[in-house]
Amino acid sequence: MQCKEVAVVLEQEGCLPVPEAARAHLAGCNSCRNFIADLTAIIATAHLLPAEVEPPPRVWTSLRVQLEEEGIIRSGARQSWWASFSEFFRPRVMATAAVALLIVAVVALQLQRPATQPTEALNTSDNLYQDTSLTLDNDEARLPAMQLAGNSGVDVSLRQNLDIVDKFIVDCEQRVKQHPQDDLAREYLTGAYQDKAELISVMMEREGSGR
Amino acid sequence: MSLKTMGHVILPVLAVAAFLAPFSLLQAAPQPPQHFERRFAVKGRPVVILQNVANGRIEVKSSKNSEVVVAATQASNKIGIVAEQAEERVDVTATILDSTAPAAELEANFQLTVPEETELQLKTQTGLVYVEQVMGDMTLQSVAGDIHLKEVSGYIVVRTTGGSLVCTQCAGKLNFSSISGNAQVLQPGLSNVTLFTMSGNILFDGDFIRTGIYSMKSGKGTVEVHFSGSDSFDLNAQTAMGTVDNQAEAYLKPDSHGVRHMASRFTKGLFGTVGSGLAKVELSSYSGTIRILKRD
Repeated sequence: MQCKEVAVVLEQEGCLPVPEAARAHLAGCNSCRNFIADLTAIIATAHLLPAEVEPPPRVWTSLRVQLEEEGIIRSGARQSWWASFSEFFRPRVMATAAVALLIVAVVALQLQRPATQPTEALNTSDNLYQDTSLTLDNDEARLPAMQLAGNSGVDVSLRQNLDIVDKFIVDCEQRVKQHPQDDLAREYLTGAYQDKAELISVMMEREGSGR
Repeated sequence: MSLKTMGHVILPVLAVAAFLAPFSLLQAAPQPPQHFERRFAVKGRPVVILQNVANGRIEVKSSKNSEVVVAATQASNKIGIVAEQAEERVDVTATILDSTAPAAELEANFQLTVPEETELQLKTQTGLVYVEQVMGDMTLQSVAGDIHLKEVSGYIVVRTTGGSLVCTQCAGKLNFSSISGNAQVLQPGLSNVTLFTMSGNILFDGDFIRTGIYSMKSGKGTVEVHFSGSDSFDLNAQTAMGTVDNQAEAYLKPDSHGVRHMASRFTKGLFGTVGSGLAKVELSSYSGTIRILKRD
């Protein structure tokens, strides 16, 4: 299997868990392993973003202009929707789009913040935390049996650290539930979710490379 | 069967057994370590990339010579080591050839000798990473291995899962992130420091450079800062559920820059200025102790 074919398999089957067909290739390809690690991190970060945010039209306009300037999209409708869709899943384009999406969401959040009632904002972020927590727990449940049973020092260390992260998350979630306006606890909770996503990604990567 | 006949039958069998015995012993004995060494001539400031998928120690030292020397000892032939050069880039990779081999056979220890000005990207699983007297940007990653740096400078990025960092007489910028690793920064000349560990401890013992920015955070561990009486910095220390142990009250004045800081209702905070408040120091811990004290 070639790198291009891995991209196609990921497009069709997703990257969590890594499709069986791609695993053999990943064992010997750093580039694809890094690509999957990036995708996993992007997906985890995306779960931290509010889905309901509607950015103002000018943000879309400037984003569109930027994407056209970089040749990532065209202004005319020359390509079929399927061709555009496939183009979107090219790794570089996907990474660019993901970063752009993050920027849009952050800008929108900044614009939205003054108009939002504090309690509404807190409720929204509580829902986000719940969604993120659930997604990460599902990812953890999908960790391969080999990784969970491995006796090597690395496997043991990864498991121990995942346990540390899980306990810290429980601690922070409890605190945030009791004191929703504790910004410091929220900051640590968000960081812990990101650490957990990265850790799961590393563990899946090890499984993918047959170690 | 007479004794003589028996001797005719048994003796050849014993002879064959005696001949084969050393071979069977050899097969059972562990393989001797294998040595690998390559030298690469470089001109300017090389970039050395080492990815050790196996386990083992990485040691990097500098020399005045314009060459990169890669020496490795591998526990068995179940690890493959490849080193290649593309002008100023030297790429070294250790891969596992037989993933079913026992862990003891999947170990490769590296010794790199590089020019004083070299950029490094090192990645390993377990085992110490030790870098001494190298100037250049470096990214060092480890899962369970500790990372010890001595007299290095540049933009230093360290990522570990459980490994700890000891950075002695480092200069430039330092960014450390870990789940359970500790960080010790001793006698630094660092102008920008970002340290984060979820459950490890942080110790910063040294001077704050006047335009420097320092951020040290630990989720559950202790964050301890030892400063000198001649330092000049603004301090912001906050904890959600931990404690702030201020052993330098005599040196901390209210913030002199006109900004009135207040801890939120849910955190315990300490704000103050030492000297003229030129550097910026932010300390934070979710549930650990933040300790501030002046060195003798």
